[in-house]
Amino acid sequence: MILKKLLLFFSCLVLLSGCWDQAQLNESKLIRAAGFDYTKDGKIKTTAAVPQAMSADTGTGKVFNEIFSAKGNTARQSRIRLDRKVSERVEASKNLIVVFGEEAAKKDIYHILDVFYRDPKSALNARIAVAKGKASDVISARFEETKSSIGIGKYLSESIRAAEGASTVPAENIQTVCPVMFDPGQDFALPYLVPKKNAVSVNGIAIFHGYEMVGKMHGAEAVVFTLLTGKQKTISMSLTKKISDKHKDKILNYASIKVKRNKRTFNVNVSPDDKISAHIKLNMKVVITEYPGDNLTSKKKIQNIENALTKSLTKDANIIIKKLQDMNSDTFGVGRKLIAFHNPTWKKLDWNKEYPNIDYTASVKVKVIGHGIIE
Amino acid sequence: MNSSHTITHRQLFFVLIQSQIGVGVLSLPYTLFAKAKTDGWISLLLAGIFIQFSILAIWKLCEMYPKQTIFDFMPKILGTKLGLLLNILFIVHLFSVCIVILILYNNIVSKWIFFQTPRFIVIIILALTCVYCITCTAREIARFLMLVSPLLLILFFFVGYAYTDVHLLYAFPVGATGIKTIISTSTDALIALLGFDTALVFLAYTEGKSTSKLKAMSYTSLCVTLFYCFVTFTTYIFFNPVEIVIVPEPVLYMLKAFSFKFLERTDLIFLTIWIVSVTTSLISYLFFTAKGVQTLFKLHHHKSAAPYVGIICALIASIPGSKLDVQMWSKTIGMTAMIFSALFPILLLLIAIIRKRKEKGAAST
Repeated sequence: MILKKLLLFFSCLVLLSGCWDQAQLNESKLIRAAGFDYTKDGKIKTTAAVPQAMSADTGTGKVFNEIFSAKGNTARQSRIRLDRKVSERVEASKNLIVVFGEEAAKKDIYHILDVFYRDPKSALNARIAVAKGKASDVISARFEETKSSIGIGKYLSESIRAAEGASTVPAENIQTVCPVMFDPGQDFALPYLVPKKNAVSVNGIAIFHGYEMVGKMHGAEAVVFTLLTGKQKTISMSLTKKISDKHKDKILNYASIKVKRNKRTFNVNVSPDDKISAHIKLNMKVVITEYPGDNLTSKKKIQNIENALTKSLTKDANIIIKKLQDMNSDTFGVGRKLIAFHNPTWKKLDWNKEYPNIDYTASVKVKVIGHGIIE
Repeated sequence: MNSSHTITHRQLFFVLIQSQIGVGVLSLPYTLFAKAKTDGWISLLLAGIFIQFSILAIWKLCEMYPKQTIFDFMPKILGTKLGLLLNILFIVHLFSVCIVILILYNNIVSKWIFFQTPRFIVIIILALTCVYCITCTAREIARFLMLVSPLLLILFFFVGYAYTDVHLLYAFPVGATGIKTIISTSTDALIALLGFDTALVFLAYTEGKSTSKLKAMSYTSLCVTLFYCFVTFTTYIFFNPVEIVIVPEPVLYMLKAFSFKFLERTDLIFLTIWIVSVTTSLISYLFFTAKGVQTLFKLHHHKSAAPYVGIICALIASIPGSKLDVQMWSKTIGMTAMIFSALFPILLLLIAIIRKRKEKGAAST
């Protein structure tokens, strides 16, 4: 009998409690975009955007972006200070994007990201990007689209998602970037944002080495870069290439293609005297989406286009690889291949010194498999 | 023994699976990596082979003394006094296993979900649930454990989802740490695979041919080893070798980054299901312990021992607070558990065989 009472007592205790861990939505402010910059005196400035829904009589809710910022010696300290400034508790669990100012990215992004990796509540699937100039400018800018309908976090995140679909930037989030960031044999690239007057432009990629940004690439180069990473296919992986100089009418010299399939073979070889050579071979199947010159009837004509595209893309690919070697950024992971398959050689190497000097080339082979509904 | 208390060999399979898969799965890849680097999964496979010997020993013992639990036949093998002493030691060992399950469970739950909730509450909730579950017969326990088994498929699916973003090259070069390290690491892997020793009590309830019992036990160990191996290998190719050193619960951390269109924070869903797995392991071990206490105090039913066992475990389990304490407790208890659960049955079998021979010899002369 006593036992039963005891059990009853404990089950009451259990059922009536459970109020320790609660985070109520009406008592917290959800950060949707966070930006990090270094100030002149070496402190970290955090800028956070908290969208607030404004109740409107018409029924369509407006969104107002509240921007807060605070400085501190570390990322966490600036967050704590931010928390003090804001009336309610600041929550980053629904964060959509983290933006680094270019200067901050050039220092060491892991020092700032540590708090994201350590906090069990943080959103590891938030996108991550580098902004031209200051991150705070991007977060606090009033773009056309963010004036009324959507929050800045959503806006930036969607812009990058569109760019990912078009393969102008690699798809990365806080977690996917982490293993590569730690890897001694591979580096990564992030989307590069440029704030314009009333829109943000995702106009290229920021190239990293280790934890630091070492350079950037723009538009068309970035597409070839994404192709070289071996990405199979996205919604619209498109390119416009100049394929001849013959025509007077300039527009006729160009063809636009859409990549349907992209197959990468990546070979890293070590010769007996420890010379490293790497070669990336891309086999692309494309569809012509624009060719004002028309007359794609003959086999020869198509072959000509294929050859021209093969030549110009191979050239682009090699230029990109040369650039990456100059930046000392091993984004395609030659070093990783060495660790995996040539471990004794890897152990002898100082990869940071060796990488810019290895024999590293690329070749692209284009095959046209379609040309829309006209010939 | 009442015939309605028995279980079939199929039920035995699920009971053992549920006892084996438990608290260890989350941090196993990390512990193995700390020693054997990316070859940890090989150590795990080796450990899977090693435990087959213990399984054989347990099976043989239970075949020699059918329908009896270890507490019944230990005095018969070792004599009344030594048998009683070892029975007590074995019960202490079982207590410590229950305690370590609760400690590790609380450690993860309070780190990942309930930051504010006092640890005693987190522990007592689980302990009391399990106490309630073991107040019934072995058959009912087996049915419950079987019922929750499909949940393991969900865990499997979640881990499998990681293959959308893996770097196969991280697993290479295979075998770089050397055979010696791989073998020595397999002791750590063994601790995670413990749970098959609950067969020492559940086999007494199992009906059917003795070969099919052995088959059920071996299949269990095979399934669990492969499942653990899959989980471990997946985390090794998801995380960079440099990164995994700083991630103590790689499985959860890996899931934290995934989001589906309608689901975010898959790690929390994984944890919810994982808690069921922990519960089932604890149920098996608590049942084992309660049976031991029942034999020791010659109680009529193990039911009357259950609440005391549960509450004592919960009280002791809420002692260690800091991370280092938890590590020390789990390491010490892990070692003793390995000795009692994996090595002891083999030893016991040897003694039993020698005794039988002597008795035969004595009878013939």
